[in-house]
Amino acid sequence: MKKRFMITALVMALIASCFSGCGGAKEKLKLYIWGEYLGEDVISNFEKEYNCRVIVEYFDSNEMMYTKLAGGSAYDVLVPSDYMIERLINEKMLQPIDKSAIPNISLLADGVKNMGYDPDNTYSVPYFWGTCGIVYNKNNVDYSDLENEGFGIMKNPKYKGKLYMYNSSRDSFMIALKQLGYSCNTENENEINEAYKWLIELDEATEPVYVTDLVIDSMAQGEKDLAIMYSGDAAYVLGENENMSYYTPACGTNIWCDAMVIPTNAENPTLANKFINYMLTKEACMDNTLTVGYTSPNAEVLAEVTAEGGDYAENEAYLPRTYALDEIYHDNETIRRLTNDLWTKIVANE
Amino acid sequence: MKHYKKMVYPYVAWISVMVVAPMLLIMFYAFTKDGNAVLDFVFTLENFKKFFSDTIFISVLGRSLKIAVITTVICLAVGYPAGYFISKCADGVKMKWILLITFPTWINMMVRTYAWRGILQDDGIINKFFGLFGLGPVPMLNTGFAVVLGMVYNFLPFMIIQIYTSLAKLDTSLLEAAADLGANKTKSFLRITLPLSIPGVLSGITLVFLPAVSSFYIPEMLGGGRYYMIGNLIETQFLTTENWNFGSAVSLIMVIIIIVSMYFTGKADKTEIMEQRGN
Repeated sequence: MKKRFMITALVMALIASCFSGCGGAKEKLKLYIWGEYLGEDVISNFEKEYNCRVIVEYFDSNEMMYTKLAGGSAYDVLVPSDYMIERLINEKMLQPIDKSAIPNISLLADGVKNMGYDPDNTYSVPYFWGTCGIVYNKNNVDYSDLENEGFGIMKNPKYKGKLYMYNSSRDSFMIALKQLGYSCNTENENEINEAYKWLIELDEATEPVYVTDLVIDSMAQGEKDLAIMYSGDAAYVLGENENMSYYTPACGTNIWCDAMVIPTNAENPTLANKFINYMLTKEACMDNTLTVGYTSPNAEVLAEVTAEGGDYAENEAYLPRTYALDEIYHDNETIRRLTNDLWTKIVANE
Repeated sequence: MKHYKKMVYPYVAWISVMVVAPMLLIMFYAFTKDGNAVLDFVFTLENFKKFFSDTIFISVLGRSLKIAVITTVICLAVGYPAGYFISKCADGVKMKWILLITFPTWINMMVRTYAWRGILQDDGIINKFFGLFGLGPVPMLNTGFAVVLGMVYNFLPFMIIQIYTSLAKLDTSLLEAAADLGANKTKSFLRITLPLSIPGVLSGITLVFLPAVSSFYIPEMLGGGRYYMIGNLIETQFLTTENWNFGSAVSLIMVIIIIVSMYFTGKADKTEIMEQRGN
């Protein structure tokens, strides 16, 4: 019985090694990226141009990506978010990019260069960026309420039962802290407790529905009047439903950026640098932004799609306005645990 | 006969890798703290303490049990007459009824539940109908009503099929004998049909109650995160707040509740059979 098992296992292993060996003629690039984050033809075009094969894997949270990477999986290019890049840099899990191989870095828009998580773009090259803000129905929400109350509109009883909150402790605590006039990266527990009370009050005052990705289709169909959303998703909603618009309060919000990085255990860093350079070209950026709807880091693409007649010309969310008080998120494990625990209590509250 | 035993090995291998190993991991996480690293762990009972010392978590548990009980009672109240009715039909008609009842389960449960959103939402067909008479819109989506409705809709077939099966096996000569001895219809139902259908009722209850109490998809889709149940609590711990240790502890508490309730239904089942034999 045992012997037979061994033979079967051996045969299986042989078959598996044959499969993985057969495609070995071309150079390979392993890309680990968010789901639904690639233009339609970017991968096939890159493969053709550089005669290589790109293996794409998808993650749906930075933490999932981190767990996989820390578990020893080797990738050539990753596309995580700002705070995760900061963590990877601190933990020495990234290698510097080769700027001589990436001349296209000059094509980046000014705003996305040298952001706080990687001040000289030593390790990372922006891929998409945006803010977190309020999507609202222009017909049912008074613009003056937005201007006067900012994120506080989410607890205005006038809109009770008509709003979506994003089911994420990070983004919800961010809006509470910003509205209260604090930094979203605060380490002061009193401020966090104040934000917790603010969110509990919100829960009781307007009885929001807590959703994640469901918010995108629901707002596109106009099911509710207000929702907290990322600008990239909001851009899609605004494209689908002309009654919707996007607002970022002057109290500031979170500016985020997802960027391409090369981990230290990359098997093919040379090709990885070429890939990053390719992803910055106008052609690739255009394909990405038109397919996905998130804001491009390429200055020329930005100008073109927001110019009159462009695909995102009248889309308030595509190129969100930014304020001096906007912040980049920094990860702090103690604070993250604390807010996560508090968030569980908020959503479980009846 | 003996060599057939070997055929069970693949299943043993399967169940060890797919069921036993993950269960052990959950137990491991439940009794440790500090993140998901398996290498530097600390044993603790903190996760359980956290659950039982906070009224919010207890109320989540209470809400789950309440919704599951309501669902089970409605399924039983609707399912028993339905099962009884089908078992009385002619053979050909029976099959058609069973087909009709199982028909919806051919479609994926998530898709069916998602479809209810469209029916129940403020500009859905029900509210459009109300609108014709100048009523509404009545908010139905994201309420407890929607959650119970979604559960009854999804789990009712399990109840009907179980009850039908036990009633279909019923020996009709017993009823004839009862009639012969002068029992009227009500009496023969109460003394014969009902007791003999109890095993079906109990397995129906198990098949409805267990998925209902641990459900997370239905409350999320139809309750809009406002009907937070124990399944949602577990889901949140794993997917959004990354507290695998607490999530595992809650899962374990859930497993214990399920085992206890199965023990009691199993016991009720046995006593019932014993009593029947005694009679």
